[in-house]
Amino acid sequence: MARKSVQPQDGILVTRHLTKQYNGGVVLDNISLAIEEGKTTVIIGPSGCGKTVFMKHLIALERPTAGKVFFQGKRIDDLDEQRLAEIRTKYGFCFQMSALFDSLTVYENITFPARQHYRITDDKALDKMVKQKLALVGMDGFQNYYPASLSGGQKKRIALARAIALNPEIILYDEPTTGLDPITSDVINELVNKLKEEMNATSVVVTHDMKSAYKVGDRIIMLHNGRIIADGDADYIRNHPHDVVQQFIHGRVGEAELAALRLGGTRFETQFTPKDFR
Amino acid sequence: MIEQLGRNVIRIVGNTGRFARFAWAAHAAMARTLLRPKAYPRILTQMYTIGVKSVPVVMATGAFVGMILALQSYDQLAHMGLEERMGVLINKAVIRELGPVLAAIMLAGRVGGALTAELGTMNVTEQISAVRSMGTDPIRYLVAPRVLACLLLTPLLIIYADLVGILGGFFVSVFQLKINAGAYWSYSAAGVEMWDITTGILKGFFFGGAIATISCYKGFNCREGAQGVGEACTEAFVGSFMSILFLNYVFTIVFDAVYKSFWTVKPLL
Repeated sequence: MARKSVQPQDGILVTRHLTKQYNGGVVLDNISLAIEEGKTTVIIGPSGCGKTVFMKHLIALERPTAGKVFFQGKRIDDLDEQRLAEIRTKYGFCFQMSALFDSLTVYENITFPARQHYRITDDKALDKMVKQKLALVGMDGFQNYYPASLSGGQKKRIALARAIALNPEIILYDEPTTGLDPITSDVINELVNKLKEEMNATSVVVTHDMKSAYKVGDRIIMLHNGRIIADGDADYIRNHPHDVVQQFIHGRVGEAELAALRLGGTRFETQFTPKDFR
Repeated sequence: MIEQLGRNVIRIVGNTGRFARFAWAAHAAMARTLLRPKAYPRILTQMYTIGVKSVPVVMATGAFVGMILALQSYDQLAHMGLEERMGVLINKAVIRELGPVLAAIMLAGRVGGALTAELGTMNVTEQISAVRSMGTDPIRYLVAPRVLACLLLTPLLIIYADLVGILGGFFVSVFQLKINAGAYWSYSAAGVEMWDITTGILKGFFFGGAIATISCYKGFNCREGAQGVGEACTEAFVGSFMSILFLNYVFTIVFDAVYKSFWTVKPLL
């Protein structure tokens, strides 16, 4: 389902024939994709299928082996870090492990991008900005906490607040609900939707949590072995004929994997008791 | 076997190139950081952790070096009746070689290990990627202040090590081995030159720069997981240690050559 004729102007973020190899192994294989402005695009796929690597190419944290990446019609994959710095201020990136700076307080974490890019003379305005962003994620009052004293869900929310500190045009979420309990996951899903509406931002979400994918996604794309195998809205994905897609969305193990498990030996052959070693 | 050799050569050349680029970027960023008053608080924080907190261990190192030198050289010199000249030997050795080198090695362990572990953990937990994703150069933000602090403070720490080493040697010689204090100091003053002190301290800049650059590089390029960070720390220490010894050898030759070429005009200076 690769779209060969994707043009740089087709979306806010466009990849053309994007290929990435590590030590000869192909992680991304000729991906051409246009991400539409103002919508939430969800990228699903099993662990290790290249979702996160793909996302990192969208902000040029990784450079492609072949192919091109365009942001607002301009090519970004060949820019040097200095030129990229300016472009990256239009992005918000929410990392899988939150990636908050543990030597800084929540307040300092959120003001980090602003302090790096602007000459701040009015600390009051900065206080107000932090308060507003924290209120948006429901964490106002936590300004002076250190990340180490927060729970996983709280860290995720602070990471969200930091990602939107500079009012980005595009927000990238790397597995926002992984490792969270079902209720906290749902809170994060609601937040993703809320941020999209209130900030009018384009979102790209990488996840393997189908509940989350259906809830936040305007469009769902499934990656498998570095290629796009399905691309459409939630209903389209639900009714997709491809076996791999059906197995993935229903969390069902395939026949091949089951056969491999059966080959792994019987209970008696694999179980040792201390007396065997005497 | 040839294939293996070729692969290793390519790997070594690649790593050297990457390190050279990193070192260049770090030093260029350092020069730029010096011109940005906004970054000064970060440099001061690093100076505190790298410099101020290292003073006790560096002083202890220096003291023991001076004391041991006195104990070890006494017997040899006393045989020849030269024990009063011990001061020259001790102070020259401490100021030229042992003070700078041992202080730097102490720093490689204390500061280098901490730098690699800190940056390595930041790398593994994606904090360095986070800095990049927010449009900030991690080398400018994280590496430059650390290299700068290490580079500027290693010479100062060497002065501390020298000072305490001199005192340690003096106390053992005069109070334990009962050498005449006046003779000890006057022979020392005649034997140790300004040049010895200058070269010892000058080496400190290079040692400090090498320790910080190698440690930060290893932290930035460490592999995933606790084991990755541990390996990076070990590699950083071994790398710093070897480069301190190597740089010391090179600079001893260079400074000697400079000294000899200016020796004839020394009275004029």
